[in-house]
Amino acid sequence: MRTNRLSPVMPLVGLVAGLALALCQYMIFVYAPVEQTMGIVQKIFYFHMPLAWWSLISFFTVFAASIAFLRTRNWKWDALSGAAAEVGVLFSGLALVTGSIWGRHSWGVWWTWDPRLTTTLVMWFVYAGYLVLRTLDLPRERLGTVSAVVGIVAFLDVPLVFLSARLWRSIHPAVFASRGGGLEPEMKTTVIACIVAFGFLWAALTWLRAAQRRMAARIDVLATETTI
Amino acid sequence: MESTQWLLVANAAVWLGIGAYLFLLARSQQTLDRRIRHMEMLGDDK
Repeated sequence: MRTNRLSPVMPLVGLVAGLALALCQYMIFVYAPVEQTMGIVQKIFYFHMPLAWWSLISFFTVFAASIAFLRTRNWKWDALSGAAAEVGVLFSGLALVTGSIWGRHSWGVWWTWDPRLTTTLVMWFVYAGYLVLRTLDLPRERLGTVSAVVGIVAFLDVPLVFLSARLWRSIHPAVFASRGGGLEPEMKTTVIACIVAFGFLWAALTWLRAAQRRMAARIDVLATETTI
Repeated sequence: MESTQWLLVANAAVWLGIGAYLFLLARSQQTLDRRIRHMEMLGDDK
């Protein structure tokens, strides 16, 4: 049966992601120097920022795949938007958790209603709601259309998250807002390596989950045909 | 808590989150494989 075939490239992407993340951990704990003002806790930045960036890319993928689905009615786009939303909620959730731990150490509070933090939390709830919506018991065509429309509208909050630290008075730093971000060369190399490593992880997870969703949809169709 | 411990807690949180999601993916794959085997058995019976 064609349904249980996964692309041979997928395990390779997963392997590269694993190796890249191991290198990223080495660079965080051994290679990158300790920042003078904040101390060693600043190293949370090396996974906090890649998680936040890839979650935004995830939600852009939901937006683009939802448009593609409405235009083509091809279910592969629906599977991709569902998968990207799941990974985006995971990554933005982890960015919120790591940011909260960092904030507790640096600001003395677990949470503050800062524009960047608030817009990120709103974004997390919007996409968590989108995932709940996808589980509703509706006819497949209708659910696909409703999910795609919500996937497009939900993206409205994403540029706000990105620009919030620049537009409003925020205690959250706008990373790379100034030229080079004021990072030491070793720090910059580490952050770039971690962005690439988490990118591979994002690709592997999204790809695998989208393949699972396509497989599940095909099994559902086959099961319906068998019963008919 | 010392600064190093805050860093380790944040790092552990990331790996716990990713690990939990991978576990869910593995469970989901098991369910799909079971459904495929079931359908193949139904096909063989016909």
